[in-house]
Amino acid sequence: MATKKASRPVFVLGGYQTDFSRNWNKEAKHIVAMMRETVIGALEETRIEPAEVEVAHVGNFAAELYCMQGHLGAFVLEVDPALSGVPTARHEAACASGSIAALAAAAEIEAGRYDLALVLGVEQMKTVDSKRGGEFLGTAAWFDREAKGVEFPFPKLFGKLGDEYDRRYGLKDEHLAAISAVNYANAKRNPLAQTRNWFMSYEHACSTGPFNAHVGGRVKISDCSQVTDGAAAVFLASEEFAKKWAARVGEKLEAIPRILGWGHRTAPIEFSAKVAESQNDPFVLPHTRRAILDAFERAGLAGVGAIHAIETHDCFTTSEYMAIDHFGLTPPGKSWQAVEEGVIALDGKCPINPSGGLIGAGHPVGATGTRQLLDAWKQVTARAGDYQVRNARRVATLNIGGSGTTSVVHVVGFAS
Amino acid sequence: MREVKRVVVLGANGTMGAGAAGLFAGNGFDVTMLARTVDKAHQGLGKAKEALRTDVLRERVHCGTYDADLESSVARADLIFEAVSEDLTVKLPFLERVDRARASGSVVATVSSGLSIAAMCEGRSDDFRRHFMGMHLFNPPHVIVGTEMIPGPETDREVFQSMSQFARRKLGRAVIECRDRPAFAGNRVGFKVLNECALLAEVHGVSNIDYLIGRHTGRALAPLATIDLVGWDVHHAIVENVYAHTRDEAHELFQMPVYMKQLMDEGHLGNKTPAEGGFYRRMTDANGKRMVSVLDPRRRSYSEGAAPPPNKQAFVEEMKALHAVGRYRDAMRLLLTAPGTEAELTRRVIVGYVSYALNRVGPDEVVDSPAGVDSIMGHGFNWAPPSVLVDLWGKSATLKAMDELGLKAPPVLARLADGQRLFTGQSASIGRYFIGK
Repeated sequence: MATKKASRPVFVLGGYQTDFSRNWNKEAKHIVAMMRETVIGALEETRIEPAEVEVAHVGNFAAELYCMQGHLGAFVLEVDPALSGVPTARHEAACASGSIAALAAAAEIEAGRYDLALVLGVEQMKTVDSKRGGEFLGTAAWFDREAKGVEFPFPKLFGKLGDEYDRRYGLKDEHLAAISAVNYANAKRNPLAQTRNWFMSYEHACSTGPFNAHVGGRVKISDCSQVTDGAAAVFLASEEFAKKWAARVGEKLEAIPRILGWGHRTAPIEFSAKVAESQNDPFVLPHTRRAILDAFERAGLAGVGAIHAIETHDCFTTSEYMAIDHFGLTPPGKSWQAVEEGVIALDGKCPINPSGGLIGAGHPVGATGTRQLLDAWKQVTARAGDYQVRNARRVATLNIGGSGTTSVVHVVGFAS
Repeated sequence: MREVKRVVVLGANGTMGAGAAGLFAGNGFDVTMLARTVDKAHQGLGKAKEALRTDVLRERVHCGTYDADLESSVARADLIFEAVSEDLTVKLPFLERVDRARASGSVVATVSSGLSIAAMCEGRSDDFRRHFMGMHLFNPPHVIVGTEMIPGPETDREVFQSMSQFARRKLGRAVIECRDRPAFAGNRVGFKVLNECALLAEVHGVSNIDYLIGRHTGRALAPLATIDLVGWDVHHAIVENVYAHTRDEAHELFQMPVYMKQLMDEGHLGNKTPAEGGFYRRMTDANGKRMVSVLDPRRRSYSEGAAPPPNKQAFVEEMKALHAVGRYRDAMRLLLTAPGTEAELTRRVIVGYVSYALNRVGPDEVVDSPAGVDSIMGHGFNWAPPSVLVDLWGKSATLKAMDELGLKAPPVLARLADGQRLFTGQSASIGRYFIGK
């Protein structure tokens, strides 16, 4: 499959993220409240008028299950009367839903259909207890085969990812603990991170006991991302709109970051099928690797050396461990080297998840891909505050749906 | 200021002492927890471990007693954190011992929620006075990040600012600087509203007041339920201290109602005395069914069965419905315009809160800017910050409402340019204060 490059550039104008520490169920809110706050916030942050929005793409995994509400695209119109009539759609690819919405919006801009698109990722998850929520999340796997009757199916699936690494290359749990500690430490610098006031340390992540129990094979509580209520919105624009907008906000067009490249691949939905397929491949999840290479190729980048930071999908520490070698920061199976050498730390050679990632910042499933894009935009425009990576000009995101099933990669920033 | 590595917590078995010790240890500092006995200090460590949900803290924590370990541990400490009982006669002898034992240059902070910082400096050494300050954490500190820092009359400015920065950077606190005034900013403003509600409850009933001034008005918990949570004794100490030592436009609203004093004498302290109760009393009926009975302040007795439901008001139900779909501005504007005596009563309390809070801003007042009182009401009390309400209402509508209700217009509001926002905090959290039920 040849990688076609974008015919027209797609600009990222910024957006807005909710405070991921909030519990919207306790606030007695309908999901429309979260959508309203986020879109209004994004409009105010970017100084875009509601009437300028030409199309809206909503990423959401399972509002039907968590909130008994479908058809989320239509709720965008509840934000402002000026949005009446705007075309909308909702996109679903499990935890990659937010990135799929962004891909759809970018495609429409590349095609010249619209000049300004709203991408909104949203998920309200605290409406149910953790067991019921775990069951809902199980629908991101092949439910009947992998999740039915299984308590917390996803920690177990990603525990198996760790086991597969262990079998092929060897894996020490201390390296997973170090990944957890980095994400929590970064989250302390992020004022919107869910865990910003939580306790975590490398020692605690290494410990096992009632306060850090195993929940899925080798995966412990400290290895897991969070159950999160949250949303994030990003505006994508054509060159024509970006020029007009740059003048409005007093920027040069060259200072507005673009989506330089993207990758999007799907692997067999069952985890055992993925592993069987990749037996003779140096990469455990070769389709994820392919999505990364596609994005680099479209961006015209030789490799990860041209990337200054990564926002990756650490739904569990094992998935970040996988991302390290799949991005090419180490040879396959040697992700531990990047952990030990501090490559992934906030002041490292290629910081991973300066925001805190899904473990530290939180993981409102359908919003995560959009939140990653927004964080990439914050980094390359030097707006990330205390979690800013110095001189970040190009940031990659990796958003994964299911047990490594749908992989979406974006490279955001400046060509040179 | 010397770098903080070692911290000593006095009163480490108490709620605030244990919470503070957990905060310090959880952020990587070596902590010595002191109490009257080692067992009590260990109890404090147990509370801290439970709060932080970890077993690894004990590696960073030493437990000791005042008799055996105070002088030696204080001598080695960079920060001495005093969290003994909220009573000057208890605190002063401890501070005197700390003064004698501490190394020059170490910082001494008190967790007091409103006692005079200046009074705690009296008779202390020059070096102590330069390194002493208030650091008022809210309970529980691992959840509530709002923190008031209060310099004493002679606190070294550089030391104070370094400690404020330390609290922000190393402890994740949302710090505001307060002047050394009774109850500082948060409790001064918060307990004015709470006591006003307690006074109103005598006329309008407990259920009705908690319904009218409920979560839809911008708070995590209804006011009288809040007093039950903090304890009537604590409420009493705070309002009495403010009443005795301040004179302001709301002076009479700090007088604790007589019915509360009487019930307090009979042992009613709120949730901490479940058998006696407070505004509410949790009971189990003959069939084992749990229910909550409610106090009738006039009769000083509790409802026989479950609390009778409040008189529902259309404007309250509509406000809740608007919050539920994220239309906070529409909801709060409805509060300003709704007809009826109940709506006016609600306005008096809520607009009164904004008026009183913003009148505590100024060069001779408790805080220098609205951001201070906004931060502590939001992060400390979980109440909608006053400036957020002003921004939702708009300047002119706010001033008009204050005028109609005979409330003092805050100078900081009069100076605000038309169309300019007063709230400067994190906008992503504003909606959290407006509850849809």
